Amino acid sequence: MALEHHFVCPLPNGTHARPASALEEVARGFRSEITLVNGRTGQRANAKNVLAIVGADVRFKDPCRLEVSGPDEGSALPALIAFLRERFAQCDHEAPAPGRPAGELVLPPMLRQAGAALRPGTPLVPGIGRGRLVRAGGFRLPEHLPVNGVTDVAFEHQRLDRALDELIVWYGQRLAAAGPGVEREVLTAHRAMARDLELRETLLAAIGRRRTAAGAIAEAEAHFSARLTASNNPLLAERRLDVQDICRELLHRIYGAAARLPDLVLTVESIVVAETLTPGQFLALDRHWLRGLVLAQTGATSHTVILARSFCIPTLGGVNLAGLEGDDREVVVDADLGGLVTALPATVRRYYDLEQARLSGLSRRLRQFATQPAVTADGARLEIAANIGVAGEAELAFAAGAEGIGLFRTEMLFLERAEAPGEEEQYEVYRQALQAAGHRPVVVRTLDAGGDKPLPYLSLPAGENPFLGYRAVRIYPEFEELFRTQIRALVRASAHGNLQVMVPMLATLEEVRWCKRIIAEEQARCAASGVAHDPAMPVGGMIEVPAAVFLLEELCNELDFFSIGSNDLLQYFMAADRLNPRVASLYDPLQPAFLRVLQQIVEVVSARQKPLSLCGEMAAHRRYLPLLVGAGFKKISVASPAIAGLKAELAGLRQGDCRRLFALAHESETAGAVAGHLATFPVQQAAPLIRPELVADGVVAATKAEAIKQVVDLLNISGRAADPRAVEAAVWAREATYSTGFGHGCAIPHCRTDAVQVNSLAVLRLAEGVEWGSLDGQPVRLIILLVVRESDAAGAHMKVFARLARKLMHEPFRAWLAQEKDPDVLCALLREALET
Amino acid sequence: MKIVAVTACPTGIAHTYMAAEQLEKTAKKLGHHIKVETQGAMGIENELSQAEIDGATVAILAVDIAIEQAERFARIRQIKVPVQAALRDPEAIFHQIQGIMLKNV
Repeated sequence: MALEHHFVCPLPNGTHARPASALEEVARGFRSEITLVNGRTGQRANAKNVLAIVGADVRFKDPCRLEVSGPDEGSALPALIAFLRERFAQCDHEAPAPGRPAGELVLPPMLRQAGAALRPGTPLVPGIGRGRLVRAGGFRLPEHLPVNGVTDVAFEHQRLDRALDELIVWYGQRLAAAGPGVEREVLTAHRAMARDLELRETLLAAIGRRRTAAGAIAEAEAHFSARLTASNNPLLAERRLDVQDICRELLHRIYGAAARLPDLVLTVESIVVAETLTPGQFLALDRHWLRGLVLAQTGATSHTVILARSFCIPTLGGVNLAGLEGDDREVVVDADLGGLVTALPATVRRYYDLEQARLSGLSRRLRQFATQPAVTADGARLEIAANIGVAGEAELAFAAGAEGIGLFRTEMLFLERAEAPGEEEQYEVYRQALQAAGHRPVVVRTLDAGGDKPLPYLSLPAGENPFLGYRAVRIYPEFEELFRTQIRALVRASAHGNLQVMVPMLATLEEVRWCKRIIAEEQARCAASGVAHDPAMPVGGMIEVPAAVFLLEELCNELDFFSIGSNDLLQYFMAADRLNPRVASLYDPLQPAFLRVLQQIVEVVSARQKPLSLCGEMAAHRRYLPLLVGAGFKKISVASPAIAGLKAELAGLRQGDCRRLFALAHESETAGAVAGHLATFPVQQAAPLIRPELVADGVVAATKAEAIKQVVDLLNISGRAADPRAVEAAVWAREATYSTGFGHGCAIPHCRTDAVQVNSLAVLRLAEGVEWGSLDGQPVRLIILLVVRESDAAGAHMKVFARLARKLMHEPFRAWLAQEKDPDVLCALLREALET
Repeated sequence: MKIVAVTACPTGIAHTYMAAEQLEKTAKKLGHHIKVETQGAMGIENELSQAEIDGATVAILAVDIAIEQAERFARIRQIKVPVQAALRDPEAIFHQIQGIMLKNV
C-alpha cells in the first residue's frame, strides 16, 4: 500500500520546468517509486521524470497527490512533504537578473500617456532597435543527415547513449561555473531533462526501429514538443525550447559540424529573439538587418553580449517571451528604458520616431569627435584604444576613432569548437588585426580560459569557485603546448605591425618569468629558422589580481607595460561578485579603497615610466572619466562604440579640475561621498547658455509631452544632458505645481537639476500650437526651456535667467523671439540682450 | 500710492521675476510708486527695509511659498495673491487694493 500526501499546487504558473526539476532532484534521492497525480485531470507522472511532471499539466490550485511506495518510502514521504512545504512554492520566483534596475519600469510621459506596455528586461547593450520578431534557435534536422537505414544498431545505440551521458556531465560542468540566478536555474532544468529516463527510452527505442541517431533525436523532439504544446499552458509550451536545446546539443555532439543548421537568414529589419545565442550564432547573423537582440537568458558577461556591444546591437536579457511564439509582428527593443515593446499604436510609434531622431542627432555630433585625438579642454592628451574579441572588429574600432587595440581578447578563437585552433589559423587572425591597425599598437591578451570560461578540449575540473580557480596564466604550464602554439603564432605575426603580448591574471613573479621564458624560446626558434618577427615585441601584464599591485616594482623589472582589468580587480579587491545583486553596492568603482589602489598603481608604474592603461568597463563610462583623468591615466581601452562619446566628454573636461576632483574622491570616506563630489563636478564650464543647436524651428508636436521631450532632447543631442529622461522628469515635476504656460502663446518650462552638465537655455518654435494648460487658456507655440544645475543655483547664470523672465513680460521681445528666423542671429542677440 | 511687494515662486528661476516685472510695469502704467523685492534662487534681491515697508500704504505679497523675514510685514495692510495672479491680471490686484483702501478710510 503506497503512502500518500495530498496538496494543492501553490505555483501561479503551474509546474513548469523549474519546479519540476526541483521535485525531480528530491525524488531522485530515493529508491521508492514516486508518482505525482493531477487530481483535476487524473494524469499520473513519475516524479523522477521531469518531462512527465511537466506533461502532467498541473496548474495553479490544482488538487494533487504524491504516491510513494518502495523500500525507503518511510523516509521519502517526510522529505517530500518538507520539500513541498518549504521550497516548492519558491521555485517560481525569478531570481533578479544582474543589472536590472530596482522597482518598476518608469516610462517617460509620452509613453505613459500613450498607454504603452513594456515587457521589462535587463538592458545588456544600450540603444533602441525596431524590427520584425525573428526567432533564432528552434530545431530542424539538417537535410543531408539520414534518418533511416541503420545497419549497425549496436553502434548507433552506443553513440547516442554516450552522447546523452556526456551532455549530462557537460551541463553539470556549466552548472558548477554558472553564476547565481536565472542561468543556474535554467541549466538545472536542462540537466534534469537530459537525464530524464523517458527521454532516454524514447531516443533508444527509435534506434531499435532502425532510426539513425539523428532520426531518433528528431522523433524525440517532435514527441515531447507535441506533448508540451498540447498542454495549453504558455509556460509549458515554452519549455519546448529546453527540449530543442537538448536535442540540438545531442546532434552537435554526435555529428559535429555536420549537424550545424543553416544560419538564420534575415531579409528585413529584424529583432532576433532567442532563448540563448552562442557567439558563433550571433556572428552568423546578417548585421545589415539586425536591429536588436532579445535573449531570455544570459549573463551580462557572456561573449555574445560583449560582441553585441561591439557591434552596437541593442540587447535585452531576461524578457518574458510568453505568447510571442510564431509571431512576426513589429516590435521595439528599448534597451535604454529596459523593455520590449510589443504593441506599436501611432502614439508609441511617434515616441520611437523621436527617439530615433534623437539618437541619430547624437551620433552625428559624436562622429565629429571620432576622428579627432582625445584631448581635454586644457590640452591634456588621453589615448583611447579599443577592446575587441574577433579580428574583424579591428576595422570597426579604427573607424570609430580607436588609436590602437588596447585589448584583443583571444578566447573567442578558442570557444565553440572541438579542439584548439592551430598555429596557422591563429597567425592569420592576428595578422589580420595588425593589418587593419597599420602602425597603431595591437595588444593581444593570451588565452584567458578555464574557470568561468571552460573549454571542452581542456577537460578542466570544475572548481567550487571558478573565479578564484584554475584559469588564465595558471593553466599554461599544464597546457604548455597550447600556450606555445599561441605564442608562436603571435611571434610570427609580430613581423606585420606593432604587436604587444599581454598575460592575464598575473599574481606572482614565477608566472611572469615562466611566460617570458616560453616567449624567449619561441622567439629564438623563429630567429634560428629565419622566420620574420619583431625581436623587441613588448610583453606586458594585466593587473587584476590584487597581489600584483604589491609586486609592481618587481613586475616593472620584468614587463614592458601594464593594463588594469578593472572588472576583475574590483571583484577580487572588494571580494564581491558583480553578478550577485546583493553585493552589487560593493562592486562599485567609486569605493574610495578602490580609487586608492588605482592611484597606487598609477604612481608606481609612472615612476618607472612604463605605459599603463585601464581596459575594464570603468573606462567606458563617461561618469568615471574625470576620475581616470584626475588619477593620471594617459591611456584607456574600451568597446569601440564608447570611443566617440568619451572623446566628446573629454573635450569638456579640464585636467586641473579632474585632479582636484580625484584628490577629494581619494580622501573621501565612502562611495556615497565620492558620488557626491562627482555629481557636483562641473563639466564644460565655459559653454555659453545658448547655442544655435539649442534652437529648433517649425517643430511638429501634437501634445505638450511631445514638445517637452523634443526641447529636452536638444540638450541631449548637444551633449549637455547625458540622461534626458532625468531632465524631462524634473521639468514635469515643476509643471505639476502649475503650468509654465504664462499666456501670449508662450511657455517657459524650467527646472533645477544636476542631470544637465551645464546651465542651458533652449528655444523650440512649433509649427502649430499645443495645449499647455496656460494662464490664458491659449495654445503654446513658443517654448523657452531653462535648466540650471542644482549645485549651481546661485551662480552667475541665474541673473541672466531672471533678466530673461522679466523681458518675456514685454510684447516686443516675445514677438522678436517668435519671429527671428536665423538661429545664429537669435542666439547672438539673445546673448547680447541678456548678458549686458 | 506707495506700494511695496514681494514675489516668490517654487523654483525661483522664472516666475518670481516675471511677476516682479508685471507688478512694476502695471504700477507705472497706473501711476503708482512700487518697490518689488524678489525672493528667488539667488536669495533676496532688491530687499525692502523696515522703513520702506513702514512708509508704504500697502504691501502685495505675490507668493507661492513661505517667504523669508515675513515679520517685516506684520504691521502693514497687505494683499496676498498667488504668483500666477500677478502674471494673469496684475491690474486686478491694483483694483483690489483700491477697494481695500476705500473700505478702510
